Amino acid sequence: MRLYIHWPFCLSRCFYCDFTSQVTSAGVMRRYLEAVSRELVKWSALLLAERKVLRSIYLGGGTPSILKGDEIASLLVEVDGAFAMLSGLEVTVEVNPATWTRRDFEDAAEAGVNRFSIGVQSLDDRTLDLLGRAHNASEARSAVYEARRLRDASISVDLMYALPGDDGGVFERTLGDILELQPHHISLYALTLERGVPMYGKVRSGEIILPEEDVAADQYLLAIKKLRASGYRQYEISNFAMPGHECLHNLGYWRREEYLGVGASAHSLLGRLRLSNPDSLLMYIRRVEENFIAASVVETLSREGELEEEIMLGLRMSGGIRESLLREASVRLAPLQEAGLVTRERGRVALTPLGMLVSNAVISELLCA
Amino acid sequence: MDRNRIRNFCIIAHIDHGKSTLADRFLEITRTVPEQKMADQYLDRMELERERGITIKAQAVRMLYQPEGDEGYRLNLIDTPGHVDFSYEVSRSLVACEGAILLVDASQGVEAQTLGNAYLAVEAGLSIIPVVNKIDLPAADFDETAVEVADLLGIDPGEVHGVSAKTGEGVEELLRAVISATPPPIGDPQKPLTALVFDSVYDMYRGVVAFIRVVEGGIRKGMKVRMMATGASSEVEEAGFFSPDMTACDELNCGDVGYVITGIKDVSRVKVGDTVTGKINPASAPLPGYRDPKPMVFAGVYPVDSDNFTSLRDALERLSLNDASLTYMQENSRALGFGFRCGFLGLLHLEIVQERLEREYGLEMVITSPNVVYEVEMNNGSSAYIRNPSEMPDAGAVKEIREPYVRATILLSPSYVGGIMELIKERRGVFQDMAYLSGRRVELRCRLPLAEIVMDFYDQLKSRSRGYASLDYEHIGFIAGDLVKMDILINNEPVDAFSVIVERKRAHKYGKAMVRKLRSLIPRQLFDVPVQAAVGGRIVARETIKARRKDVLAKCYGGDVTRKKKLIQKQKEGKKRMKMVGRVEIPQEAFISALRIDGEEKGE
Repeated sequence: MRLYIHWPFCLSRCFYCDFTSQVTSAGVMRRYLEAVSRELVKWSALLLAERKVLRSIYLGGGTPSILKGDEIASLLVEVDGAFAMLSGLEVTVEVNPATWTRRDFEDAAEAGVNRFSIGVQSLDDRTLDLLGRAHNASEARSAVYEARRLRDASISVDLMYALPGDDGGVFERTLGDILELQPHHISLYALTLERGVPMYGKVRSGEIILPEEDVAADQYLLAIKKLRASGYRQYEISNFAMPGHECLHNLGYWRREEYLGVGASAHSLLGRLRLSNPDSLLMYIRRVEENFIAASVVETLSREGELEEEIMLGLRMSGGIRESLLREASVRLAPLQEAGLVTRERGRVALTPLGMLVSNAVISELLCA
Repeated sequence: MDRNRIRNFCIIAHIDHGKSTLADRFLEITRTVPEQKMADQYLDRMELERERGITIKAQAVRMLYQPEGDEGYRLNLIDTPGHVDFSYEVSRSLVACEGAILLVDASQGVEAQTLGNAYLAVEAGLSIIPVVNKIDLPAADFDETAVEVADLLGIDPGEVHGVSAKTGEGVEELLRAVISATPPPIGDPQKPLTALVFDSVYDMYRGVVAFIRVVEGGIRKGMKVRMMATGASSEVEEAGFFSPDMTACDELNCGDVGYVITGIKDVSRVKVGDTVTGKINPASAPLPGYRDPKPMVFAGVYPVDSDNFTSLRDALERLSLNDASLTYMQENSRALGFGFRCGFLGLLHLEIVQERLEREYGLEMVITSPNVVYEVEMNNGSSAYIRNPSEMPDAGAVKEIREPYVRATILLSPSYVGGIMELIKERRGVFQDMAYLSGRRVELRCRLPLAEIVMDFYDQLKSRSRGYASLDYEHIGFIAGDLVKMDILINNEPVDAFSVIVERKRAHKYGKAMVRKLRSLIPRQLFDVPVQAAVGGRIVARETIKARRKDVLAKCYGGDVTRKKKLIQKQKEGKKRMKMVGRVEIPQEAFISALRIDGEEKGE
């Protein structure tokens, strides 16, 4: 089992974000933490012993680094009480550069956190302002630097491309600067704006101009090239790692391993059930306080549904999937291969970098019965 | 009832000039419909009609009107369609009447179609009762409009009535004027039966219901009758009238308007304009004026999902039961699969059929851009009608291509004359003459290829006159032109549904505009897609739809794969709304709007 804990609070809301997160008081956070503990205990009572052996823990958000290093430590103690931790398991915390000092990193590492995922996004101050990030470039650098100092920790950096007003130069500089800091792992996401986030309106009104599709695609391809040259291996559409530093927790998602999500809006996969907790913080807290399971079933997967997921998630990874999974849809591979979007080798199908850029289209082409 | 107490009349009006509202007031005044039951605009029965504010099918309502101190009148109000597509139906409704209210909106003035129908009414010998409506509106200009109407009819403006159908002002006075101005019907009850069919509808349980005006003799339940044009014969199962619901009666006598149920199961056997006569004692000659209206506009109708072919066929079959002017023939498009080439009276008719197929039968369809019918004379002397441009024979075998022309009447304000003359020229029209109806309205006449009207002439007319010009037209036959077939190749394969007949000297410009338009209509695919226009195998224009480079690649937070799944689901559903042509996904919209190219895009 893998465990995800969601921390739905932030210092401030980024202008592009539409995830469950809010800026709130210490009191609400305390109440939320209590709810999380109760939920952990509840699941612990429900699950069979063999399912309670944790292979990885991921504390994501929101901004879990609003919690100080020692608070993270006590949360992990609670987890340890409710579940069994496999020795040497991967424990990740997402860190916002505006939050932690050297002390916090050390406390967290002391408590067993061995992977730090730092939300840098960009090393250009103007861009960070546009995004509404709570930190500047120099804070981001020092956060990575502090994390990098820790012994036996794996450091990951989140970066964004396709950012406003960038014809490529800004992103290329950020990437170069980041490589100098030598993180073990880099996650690379395109800026995507859902309707309703503050930046969406600015883009529509023309106040902010996003790069053209072709420019964005070139940025992605450039990143792949540079990262590969620097020794990173791309193991998933958005993820690059030095050998041995792949995120096992996230790989679990793509490989359809079981995971339990705890906290508001967290998702779980248990057997054939996909579950999710309420998005609403209050609804979540109320359900847990009333001693209910917070989660509700989103989907009960049929065998067919599982297969679709295997294809959809499997193709995200560089290793791809066994071609036999596609059955009759494999006749659609030839034109995709011809267009340079997929490779077919030794009975496996995988997306090329060009294919990864249009993964939704390729996957839906292969799933369309 | 004494025939001298019968009045048969109709209302001629442009869309939105208040015909249905006026009819409602008549129904109220005569207490034909109790007020509380009065659905607004009772005569427009179909939901579709109500939404569009137009009347598609003519109907007739019998009203009894008893002014104080009078023994009363039987008034038959015959409803007429108001669109040029249905001008033949209008003409048949008109000859069923002796009087016509010419209703004009005080704020809009006379429109071309009203003018056309008014001329038809005058030709049919009807008494015209001129009325200006909506005098309650602040924008109303009663005097000016009255002068315009009076000029049109050659009468004194003082003879024009002013009403507000909405408030009821002047409506009762109008009804009295109708009675005094409209002559009673003439006819001989002893003569053999002749009755004019001015409309027919199909009822699932009772077969065809024919709306008739009895001209001579009488028609009774049980009588054996024959349709003189189609030859269909049957026994009258029921005769009656609408008041406003179906009311059976013993007999409809000469001068009467009503319906007969014949038991005939096929609406194409009971055609508008046909004459009903007795089987035993038939009339020697049918009533004049019967025509078999030929569809002039054709379009391919295909199911989006080819599994729905049978449902589409059934739906067309059922629709045509009720609409004799709709024709359909199975055809097979390489691009779109199995479907039908349907014939329509005009664009409005096409839209109505499309909406009914969608609404009443829940079908999702691809409808190709409409085209006109072409008459082709081959070198070997044979000739043929081509209803689908992709079937146009090779240029080498063709001696001449002729296309349908119309005589168009355009009414507009003098300030737009210049722009509209330009438009006529651009659209291969030939200007004929122009007359001032009044200081604010000009009547402009020209000849135009019907193909231009089918394309977007009307939209252009509206946009270049700020919505104030109106159009009426009548068919004048086929005229030869220097026409060629242009094919569109997508990903190097010709897509028959996009083939089009164009004037040779404009083929190059047109091809350029069309491939540009298609480039904007077809979304980027996973590979480059060339779009080409070709005339006789020679490429005249080319564009490339560049391959799509990047999707939305949002972060998957906390194992929330449902988000990702929704995105893929959305993409899959989007695919369903596309038609696969070879390896290219083409949205339905492209088939409909590819040919709608405005002046600017045409490079004019």
